[in-house]
Amino acid sequence: MSQREQPVLAERLGKKYSRGWALRDCTLEIPAGRIVALVGPNGAGKSTLMGMTTGLLRPTEGRISVFGDAPTGRGMHPAVAFLTQAKPLYPQFTVTETLRYGRNANPGWDQAYAEELVEKARVPFAAKVGTLSGGQRTRVALALALGKRPRLLVLDEPLADLDPLARETVLTTLVRECRAQGITVLLSSHVLAELEDVCDHLVLLAGGRVRLAGDVSDLLRAHADHRTLSGLALAHMRVEVAA
Amino acid sequence: MTWIVWRQQRPVFITLVAGLVVSVAAVLLLRAGMVADLQAGDLAGCLPFGSECGIRAADGFQDTWFDRLRLAQGTVLAAPVLIGVFIGAPLFAREFEQGTHALAFTQSVGRTRWTVTKFLVAGLPALVVVGVYQLVVHSWLEAAGELGPLSASTFYFTSFDAQGVSPLAYTLFAYTLGMAAGALFKRTLVAMTVTLGLFIAARVLIGDVRESLVTPTRLITNDLDVNAVVPGRPLVVDAGFLDSGGAVVADPTPMMNCTDRADAQGGVDWSACFRENGLAQRYADIVPAGQATTLHLLEGSIFAGLAVLFVLGSTWAVRRQV
Repeated sequence: MSQREQPVLAERLGKKYSRGWALRDCTLEIPAGRIVALVGPNGAGKSTLMGMTTGLLRPTEGRISVFGDAPTGRGMHPAVAFLTQAKPLYPQFTVTETLRYGRNANPGWDQAYAEELVEKARVPFAAKVGTLSGGQRTRVALALALGKRPRLLVLDEPLADLDPLARETVLTTLVRECRAQGITVLLSSHVLAELEDVCDHLVLLAGGRVRLAGDVSDLLRAHADHRTLSGLALAHMRVEVAA
Repeated sequence: MTWIVWRQQRPVFITLVAGLVVSVAAVLLLRAGMVADLQAGDLAGCLPFGSECGIRAADGFQDTWFDRLRLAQGTVLAAPVLIGVFIGAPLFAREFEQGTHALAFTQSVGRTRWTVTKFLVAGLPALVVVGVYQLVVHSWLEAAGELGPLSASTFYFTSFDAQGVSPLAYTLFAYTLGMAAGALFKRTLVAMTVTLGLFIAARVLIGDVRESLVTPTRLITNDLDVNAVVPGRPLVVDAGFLDSGGAVVADPTPMMNCTDRADAQGGVDWSACFRENGLAQRYADIVPAGQATTLHLLEGSIFAGLAVLFVLGSTWAVRRQV
């Protein structure tokens, strides 16, 4: 696979904050077209890794390339979309205005597709974003992220503040859209069970280091004592925390 | 991009325009009332001030209007810092505080373009509003002519700072200072406080030294009784005596000698006494009123230069990865 098609390639990547190392010695490859689960306990470095992937954070050491380019502070790679836990949107904008924002800020914007995603979510276009429920806000944020037609979608705990029903709907939509368009997804979540049938690639971080990375079926084959992704991940996290 | 920033700043624009409309209406009403007073007191003929007709009427007029006119100049002086604190400081700080910078940073538009667009779209209307308000207030002051604050030197600080390019230069400075502080500190309240403090400090400091930006003209007279008569109302930078060689006499002894003699004799021919003590001429170093525009431009360019630095600093701070 050429560098240009490689969604994420990290070499000995590290990030140090004033309080210490958040991520260290992270060598990683995210293959194209996969739905990648990024899991790990709190403070494992998941958000840090995502921040460096999107260019919001600068690596302290090592290198990272996204579709062959090093993310910089100049602006995000046009082929990458990022949705954080906080799902920042301008609360005073209406849904229509939020989509217009996306259209104005992204050359490859697909208005019809974004509108379709909002319609499917039954979010009223005229409503101000600040008045929407958590689930609706997530759907709008997702429409904004997918409307730019990314090739890599980075999602940092996108389901964290949603009720179980909304989690399921959002996740289903997400997986359907990304599979249909061959979008590579890097998804972090605490709830391992719901990643079970969704993700086909796993990256497990703990204590700022990569503990496990690879194709889910390969990993399960290699660790035959675990039959599920969540069982495997949990067992590794337990070991790390105990150590 | 322009639409995005315009949409974000819409409440600010509405406030700005509403504020301008109300202030301009108030100033125009006051101006109309004042002009009516001028006509009622038949004061138009009394200009220039100091002519004999109706001194009493002029006093009454000034009792009513002089302070109001000064106050109007004061609002022109206050406008820039308000723009800096309430429009400049929150421009980036609010984005960082609400986390919406992450939204902006993760679109395909580069951060530099985002910064520049925000700077222009939020800043230009503020500059236009200050400019318009300044002109309206100035037209009111001109209507009062010699009976109003403009009778003082054009260099008097309330007049000077509210005229020419100065209000716009101060506004640009305050706005970019607020913007840079916001981009750097990422906290609205901190940025507002820093903007207020630094703006006042810079205005006071530069206001103190700005006279030295132009070389004064030296006026010399052989008449030792009074200072050289200077046309217009210039800024007097320095004044004193010269000896027969044309050098400035810094030594206060001749002055003291003559004062002593005046005390002892109950009066003295000052001119003769000065000459006996070696003083030959009086001089005054002045900046003529006609050079006010030059001084406005020079001072304005200092503030504009600082504004350029602040814009570059903001761009750097926004582009910086943490």
